[in-house]
Amino acid sequence: MIKLDDIINFNNAVKEVSSYNLSDYSKKSLGRRIEKILSDYKMTIDSLIKKIKLDSNFLEKIIKNITVNTTELFRDPKIWQSVKYRVLRKLKNKDTINIWHAGCSTGQEIYSMLIILHELGIANKANILATDINTDVIEIAKKGEYIYKFNIEYIENFKQAIQVNPYNYEDKIDVSFTKYFEIDRVKNLMTAKPFLKNKVVFKKYDLVKQDNIFAEKFDIIFCRNVLIYFNAKLQKRVVNMFADVLSKKGFLILGIHESIFGAEALKYIKHGEFYIRR
Amino acid sequence: MKTQKYIVIGGSAGSFKIIIRIIKFLPANFKKTIFLTLHRLKHVRSGFVEALSLKANIPIVEPKDKEIILTGRIYLAPANYHLYIEPTKTISLSTEELVNHSRPSIDLTFQSAAHSLKDNVAGIILSGANRDGAEGLKQIKLNGGFAIVQNPEECQVLTMPTAALKKSQTKNIYSEKQIIEFILNCK
Repeated sequence: MIKLDDIINFNNAVKEVSSYNLSDYSKKSLGRRIEKILSDYKMTIDSLIKKIKLDSNFLEKIIKNITVNTTELFRDPKIWQSVKYRVLRKLKNKDTINIWHAGCSTGQEIYSMLIILHELGIANKANILATDINTDVIEIAKKGEYIYKFNIEYIENFKQAIQVNPYNYEDKIDVSFTKYFEIDRVKNLMTAKPFLKNKVVFKKYDLVKQDNIFAEKFDIIFCRNVLIYFNAKLQKRVVNMFADVLSKKGFLILGIHESIFGAEALKYIKHGEFYIRR
Repeated sequence: MKTQKYIVIGGSAGSFKIIIRIIKFLPANFKKTIFLTLHRLKHVRSGFVEALSLKANIPIVEPKDKEIILTGRIYLAPANYHLYIEPTKTISLSTEELVNHSRPSIDLTFQSAAHSLKDNVAGIILSGANRDGAEGLKQIKLNGGFAIVQNPEECQVLTMPTAALKKSQTKNIYSEKQIIEFILNCK
């Protein structure tokens, strides 16, 4: 098992040669990521540290390897039902709806949200910002192209999230997945249709640095299964920053097994699966 | 022999019945902590805790990330998350890659238990269809914990207990009855 000293040396090397700072990533999970990198690249920790100091392209690659990019279309369908019937019900009469996907990964969450906005007929009002620290995943997100067979559960999730009205089971919504995604069985791909894709502004963004790139406040911030990789101190900073850029009564949507601890919680009202800015 | 305060249990195909039985026998004043890492069908994400809770006298929870570990509880690894036990006696979750085709992975829970809890943990591998958990059980044994494998002869699917036996070299091959007694006596 990798030693704490090794992780600290690695972090120092990263800080020394780049603008990244992993010091407040959760040590345990960072240690596991580094172990995985060492085994994938068949390197020792010393040779890894040496190489990131010498080769900035390699460093970029390692940072990308450290981030976790697991996501799905409509991951946790119940959340998306709530987004549709509770969150957007409150926001749909606004002139514009500003949405930020913080840690958008390969884009599945963006397209889940866009589908719901289209279903409610309010997609034209939405301003959507999608950011990630990893530019490779941003490129995939832009394409909106996913392997079909491996991800058959996307369609299952879509059915649960979109076709079922949890508040009225007799109200079956008759809409097909192929309204939004092209399925090519030969190439084994599903691709978001162009009308879904043209709404989104993508940017590289590091939640550690917290550059102020925001012109307007957000009505919804998604940040799902990102904070779990940070320590308490960084979690606190990020949650505070979200509070600063959320409009009053704006929604913060975390992963279903994430929560806000400590004094920061006072800035939000916990409402079911969501946090609402006070 | 030292009695362990923490018990980690890993199960997959064919382990549901024995888990229900274990849960049923735990008294309301149970003073240990149990972690359950089970391979579950990806789509059966809700309702599972409720189903288990019906039979239980102690709370069964799917923990949140960074939750503090309490005694007298069963923590169930949430579907589609890895569950780790930290040295600070907290739980952390992650959505990292599948390990042994699984998320949650039994190996990851068991390895973190081995390193964080040392000789204060017992690991139990039940019926299952892949090799997940074998390495983790070995780590528990190597770190001074107590390693148990359900007797493959009484398992519905014996790949997992067989692999765990081979890798960990544990001699503690228990029947369902012995496993339940172990957990109850392990006070």
